[in-house]
Amino acid sequence: MALQLNLLHEEILEQRQRQRDPLKIGMLVLASCGAILFLYYAWNAYQTLEIKGRLSRIDRDWKKIEPQVTAAQKRSAELTNMINTTRVLDGYIENRFFWAPFLEKLSRCVAPNAQLTSIEGAVLEEDKGVVVTVEGVAAAREARAAAEDLRQMLIEQLSQSYHDVKVEFKTLEDLDTVANVGGVNMAMARYVLAVHFNPGPEIAKPVPSPTNRRSKQKDESS
Amino acid sequence: MNLPKLNKNQIQKLALSVMGFVVLLYVYFTFFLGPLNKSRSVTMAAIEDRQRKVDSSKSELAKATNLERKAKDATARFAALKALSPEGAPIAWFPPRMKIFFANQQIDRAVARLESNTGFKQSELAAWIKYNWLIELPQADFASLGKAIAELENTEPLLMVTKLSIHTLPDSPQFQQIGIAASTVIEKR
Repeated sequence: MALQLNLLHEEILEQRQRQRDPLKIGMLVLASCGAILFLYYAWNAYQTLEIKGRLSRIDRDWKKIEPQVTAAQKRSAELTNMINTTRVLDGYIENRFFWAPFLEKLSRCVAPNAQLTSIEGAVLEEDKGVVVTVEGVAAAREARAAAEDLRQMLIEQLSQSYHDVKVEFKTLEDLDTVANVGGVNMAMARYVLAVHFNPGPEIAKPVPSPTNRRSKQKDESS
Repeated sequence: MNLPKLNKNQIQKLALSVMGFVVLLYVYFTFFLGPLNKSRSVTMAAIEDRQRKVDSSKSELAKATNLERKAKDATARFAALKALSPEGAPIAWFPPRMKIFFANQQIDRAVARLESNTGFKQSELAAWIKYNWLIELPQADFASLGKAIAELENTEPLLMVTKLSIHTLPDSPQFQQIGIAASTVIEKR
């Protein structure tokens, strides 16, 4: 075998060492990483710009609609307020107590031998009803009975339209004076009637439920 | 793997490169990609918010149109109720109105006085005031009074008679002296 001498050995080694220089390789790796990172950043920036563009488009649309929406909201609030006010006012109107029908009923109850001298009435607050004080005189053989007739008549007439009707004598006293009714002298009585009734709709009294009844029965048995 | 043997200088350079790479990554994520992502998420949130507003605005517009159609009756009724009370202070127009009203019912010398005025507790009636009046009728017969009260209650829906007192006149028992306490609901002007 012939002996071969490589006179460029050192030069080739040096070149190989240069090629395998870790600093150079590191720099290459670093540069490629940097390039990847830059591309990733550019991609993200592009997406962000696109999103911002979308936002500005939506903003433009919103600015076009906003005055209409504000006006619509204002009008809605106005209408809702108006509807509610009308509803409350209608309730107020419907829940009023009408005095004219009451006076008509009262006048129907007064017999020719009875006379009213004073009527004082008031509508109580919080739907607690109406109170009326009726003062007058009655003339008959039995003057007190004539006053009682008026009371009964009032209960009967008022119960037709109102509920919880109470008519009670506050005062009933015989008078010394006599009245001439149809040419006959009659004894007189003075009366003051306290009338109370509720003109509103009747509220149904709660019926005890079967379970309540059963528990009550149990209580009673124990 | 047969790694080439590194000398001290090369190891130092390599370490420096690694450190530089770490610093680069830190700078990249903290000062470039971080703010970009933050800005993107803020923009996305803004888009969602605007989109929600735009979507709700469509339903809001539809609701307003629908409400306008539904409130036609209420609008007419409200206008009618408002028209019941003329412009100006109620003390200026209510007493003359009552005087004319009772004169038309054959009851003369009606006098109306303002007792008090109060606001309402209900928020719906915040723009309305309750005025309490005392109407005195010095002389009237019972039948005329009944008709007049019926007419008053029917023509003035916002008026409510709260108290009524009728007394016979001692000198002429066919006539009565009447006191009416009434409250009216009037819009604030």
